[in-house]
Amino acid sequence: MAHDEKLITEHEAKANVVRHNIFRIFDSSLGGHCGGTMSILEIVTALYFHHLKLDPNDYDWPERDRVVLSKAHCCEAIYAVLPEIGYVPEEALDTYYCYRSPFQGHADRWCTPGIDYSGGSLGQGLSFAVGMAMAEKIKIAANPPESPFPQFLPRLTPIYNPVYRTYCIVGDGECHEGQIWEAAMFAGKYKLDNLVTIVDYNKFSLDGPTEEIMPLAPLDEKWRAFGWWVKEIDGHNMREIVDTLDLASNLYGDGKPKCIIAHTVKGKGIPVWEETHSHLARGEGITMGVKEGREIYG
Amino acid sequence: MAKFNKYVEIGEPTMVASALNNGMLKVVEKHDNVVAVLADMGFPAVDWFKKNAPERIVECGVAEANAAVVAAGLAAEGFMPFTTSFVFALIGRAYNQIRQSILVDRFNVKMMGREGAWGETGISHNHVEGLAMTRVMPNLVILNAADVVEAEKALVAMADYYGPVFYRQEMSPAPLKIFTEDYPFEIGKAYAIKDGKDATIIATGYMVTEAIRAVDILEKDGLDVGIINMSTIKPLDEEAVIKAAQETGAIVTAENGSIIGGLGEAVGTVIAENMPAALVRVGIEDEFSQSGQITPEKDELMEHFALSAQDLAVSVRESIVRRDSFNLKR
Repeated sequence: MAHDEKLITEHEAKANVVRHNIFRIFDSSLGGHCGGTMSILEIVTALYFHHLKLDPNDYDWPERDRVVLSKAHCCEAIYAVLPEIGYVPEEALDTYYCYRSPFQGHADRWCTPGIDYSGGSLGQGLSFAVGMAMAEKIKIAANPPESPFPQFLPRLTPIYNPVYRTYCIVGDGECHEGQIWEAAMFAGKYKLDNLVTIVDYNKFSLDGPTEEIMPLAPLDEKWRAFGWWVKEIDGHNMREIVDTLDLASNLYGDGKPKCIIAHTVKGKGIPVWEETHSHLARGEGITMGVKEGREIYG
Repeated sequence: MAKFNKYVEIGEPTMVASALNNGMLKVVEKHDNVVAVLADMGFPAVDWFKKNAPERIVECGVAEANAAVVAAGLAAEGFMPFTTSFVFALIGRAYNQIRQSILVDRFNVKMMGREGAWGETGISHNHVEGLAMTRVMPNLVILNAADVVEAEKALVAMADYYGPVFYRQEMSPAPLKIFTEDYPFEIGKAYAIKDGKDATIIATGYMVTEAIRAVDILEKDGLDVGIINMSTIKPLDEEAVIKAAQETGAIVTAENGSIIGGLGEAVGTVIAENMPAALVRVGIEDEFSQSGQITPEKDELMEHFALSAQDLAVSVRESIVRRDSFNLKR
């Protein structure tokens, strides 16, 4: 199932387009959550351009895969993708933070075509994703699919692909919120194997390193303890991201919610943001990073 | 005995709990997308779900914050989740979750919360701030039924309405059965139980029962006092308030909850802005509740908070004195 090099290169090129869209967003807003946005850039690109089932003509297609950006302050990464899919016009990139803009300061379901969850208050998105995944399980339980070969396999419940899958991106600092673990416990109990959670493990929250602020390690064991399938990856390696997303989907039917712990770098690829582990930058903090980024990424 | 309006037939005290079961049975008969989201605090008509739609029981355990947002996720996929617990947990614990994940996107989640300053459970469970907490929340409808008939109808009406609703189920002594079965309950509409020319009591929930008892006391003094049942706290029926203020000029509000931010303040704002009248707010002053015993002879908490019919009658007389001293006599 390994994808050929060409495809990976294409996705990496797409990530660069998204990166430049992020720069354009920051050009006009002169502020934003640059650190956490850059750390999920490759993950978001792989999701939207490789993995998700979407209809470019209908952002509200009932069978689309759901994306819940629980760390909704990093909505710039998703905003940068949406014009590429065709959900919003390209000019929207210049309106971040503006009155009546589709690009609100935090992801907003009613303002932005293609956003499934209005977030901003951390720790809740995973519960929402769990609700969405649970909704599908209820629908399946109410109308169980019939076996295609009842004469041979009358007792086996056939496993079909789910109508939609739910993807949730949570931050590592966000895992300090108790509600993340309430939701994790719930997902384990109800065997939500149609749910994939990606933890952006960039090791920094606003006040400093997460291991100092409130230690999370061993993060993988924590998720496993709640009944999740867990895989750790390099969150900036396109091949690893793509392969792991595909693998997590193929494991549907095992009764385990999926957690991909993506080791990332806050402010990835932009020296000034990487050095300062910048969480939220304004004014010069943003323009310097954008200038560096344009020099490095052409 | 006072003369009441249509659809009012005062009966015996009846606990409201049975109404929730019956109401829920009507709701699930009409809507096939109801999901029972539990937070380890029971659920009305749960046996119906167990028998007929076990997949629509979602038990979250003692985790109200998670339950609120799971309900929002279910609603986003077309279900109509009902959640239930004590208000201090259902709303208090999950306040931010309700705001961010339910109300911002106006998801069709129905929250049934128990509260009130009655009973033995003490300061934690005898929560009185529910109306004040929820009134400031945009996109939220707030209901507080007066009797067993209205409770059942309110449950059905909130399921028919699309959008988030907080249904406040009062912990209180059994309210009188007030309404006839054909009483037309409507969200956002107050109902004048009794007309009166000297003063008007605008009451909600259990306090409607005390208001009915109070008008009898006042009638003996020759006072003709009206009662408005305000079962929708939000959106408030402003027309009914303005009409009462215009007609009697002496208003008493009565609620089993904090007078800060509750029905009294809502009514007071409408009066002040539209039709100046004398106002006396009856409710729980700025304090927490506590444990109290209820015996046939005595209700310790009712006495402590001065919420009985006798207290209400005193407040009505005070409202009339204030009205006259303010030169607001009609």
